[in-house]
Amino acid sequence: MIEVEHVRKSFNGTQALDDFSLRVKKGELVGLVGPNGAGKTTLIRILSTLLLPDRGTVSIDGTDVVRNPASIRRVVGYLADQSGLYQDMRIRELLEFFADAFHLQGTGRNDAIENALVRAGLESRAEDFVEGLSFGMKQRLMLAKTLLHSPSVLLLDEPANGLDPIARVHLRSFLKELNSQGLTILISSHILADLEDICTHAVLISDGKNVVDEEGNAGIALRQAGRKPRLFEVELLGGAEKAAAALATMPGVQVLEAAATRLRLSIDGPDDHIADTLRTLVSAGITVTSFARRGSGLEQRYRAVFGGNS
Amino acid sequence: MNPMIRKELRQLMRERRGWVLPSLYLLALGGVAIFVYFQTLQMHVNAVRFLEGPDIGIPLFLAILYTQLTVLLLLVPIFSAGALTIEKEQRTMAGLLTSLLTDTQIWWGKFLSSLLFVLLLLVAGLPVLSLAFAFGGVGLWELFIVTTTTVVILGSMSAVSLYWSSVFRRSVAATAVSYASVIVLCVVSALLYVAQEATHRGAAWANLPLRARAPLLANPFFFLTLSLTDPRELYPEWWVSAAIFVLLGTVAVWLTMRNLRRNIDAV
Repeated sequence: MIEVEHVRKSFNGTQALDDFSLRVKKGELVGLVGPNGAGKTTLIRILSTLLLPDRGTVSIDGTDVVRNPASIRRVVGYLADQSGLYQDMRIRELLEFFADAFHLQGTGRNDAIENALVRAGLESRAEDFVEGLSFGMKQRLMLAKTLLHSPSVLLLDEPANGLDPIARVHLRSFLKELNSQGLTILISSHILADLEDICTHAVLISDGKNVVDEEGNAGIALRQAGRKPRLFEVELLGGAEKAAAALATMPGVQVLEAAATRLRLSIDGPDDHIADTLRTLVSAGITVTSFARRGSGLEQRYRAVFGGNS
Repeated sequence: MNPMIRKELRQLMRERRGWVLPSLYLLALGGVAIFVYFQTLQMHVNAVRFLEGPDIGIPLFLAILYTQLTVLLLLVPIFSAGALTIEKEQRTMAGLLTSLLTDTQIWWGKFLSSLLFVLLLLVAGLPVLSLAFAFGGVGLWELFIVTTTTVVILGSMSAVSLYWSSVFRRSVAATAVSYASVIVLCVVSALLYVAQEATHRGAAWANLPLRARAPLLANPFFFLTLSLTDPRELYPEWWVSAAIFVLLGTVAVWLTMRNLRRNIDAV
């Protein structure tokens, strides 16, 4: 769906992208991971037709981004890092403007606007001015605006920046839902836990180049059940040793640490296996107060690859 | 209708300046009309002959005309110089450039909406300008040609301001340089002419070399003055001035279109 081949781009002598390649298949949700200045924004801007590459080829759904930018804009939804909205417009007016800017007409236009209002959760505030919305609401409106023309590819540059935890949860579940509907998504973010939760793959980038991890992988598979053990932190009201004993016989479950009221587990297996682990603890009479995924594999690999740069 | 035009006009008319500026503008023109009327009467108190209508109508027309051009030239940068920089400042430019709007549509939307507002002021001032009809000495032809000339000047200056808006990231910088452009055309060109004319003291306008006349032909006030000549004498001076302003505007449009997708890191 997205094919980037040996792309180079420099600004005033500074190499932003240096022989970078990327391949995203249809329906994948891929995270672009790298330190500040790695070239993530430049890559996304090239894909969105805002910038031209100096060398290399970039195509989306078989269409060359440089040769046919108008066709690309029809199928791509782009949400820029810290992008703004027209504060002095009403919410419906803003959506109407972008619907017209994407040449939507007739009932299709009206339906797209109503859908966007529902997506953003702003049906009852359609006549309010944009400036009256909270930051999280504005971000939802921006995302809804980005989806107005029903793109098949979504390019998101740091969409979770500045969002509070609840808004981030909403964003994650919304992106998962879009991905499950078949949308191909490329997202750059510094919030690795979010990426690990939603992405099917992550691609590492540094100094504009592809980066391979310690296992020699340029892309890291994330949302594929059973591929890698996942780390969990469990908080208990005492009985950590009893809990560790209860889990000892479970296949794929490894107790990494057992303190008085806390367990650290590594669980290797599908999501059902995680539910079974929790069920085993509760059945053994352990009072569990928290069961949360921790110390993401992506974060560990990020640290291993980028070290001090992170 | 180009969605950019609708959006721009809606936003413009929602701002306080959307109604404050027309009100102040009409007050200023009205003030000038009243001042000139009473000043003319005062000057003829001890006159030997009776005061006739054109004695009031012509100075009234000229005073309102030049005041109108001065005020509108001062207002053009306010509307045009911020047209593109505001999109960069609000970080909304990327949304426009990644939509299906063409560069021409974006430019045309920005240009027309800012120019339309200035033209709204021009049209609002027409009744005040037409006061001169009541006194005589001024006809429909004069009203037509001076309005046409003013529209050409404002269109050209609006295109120049929009060009500066495409160059800079901040409205303040774009507005300042736009004002500098207005000053160069209005003041520097006149000073250049005076300097050139001094070396050809006593020579009639028609006998001055083109090099000496050229700066003044690019001066908005001189262009407006040329429009007041007899219709049979508009050629060649008025037409040359008109060509200069149209060319200036066209070059500004071309450069703006080239700049629209540059400095993309600021969008």
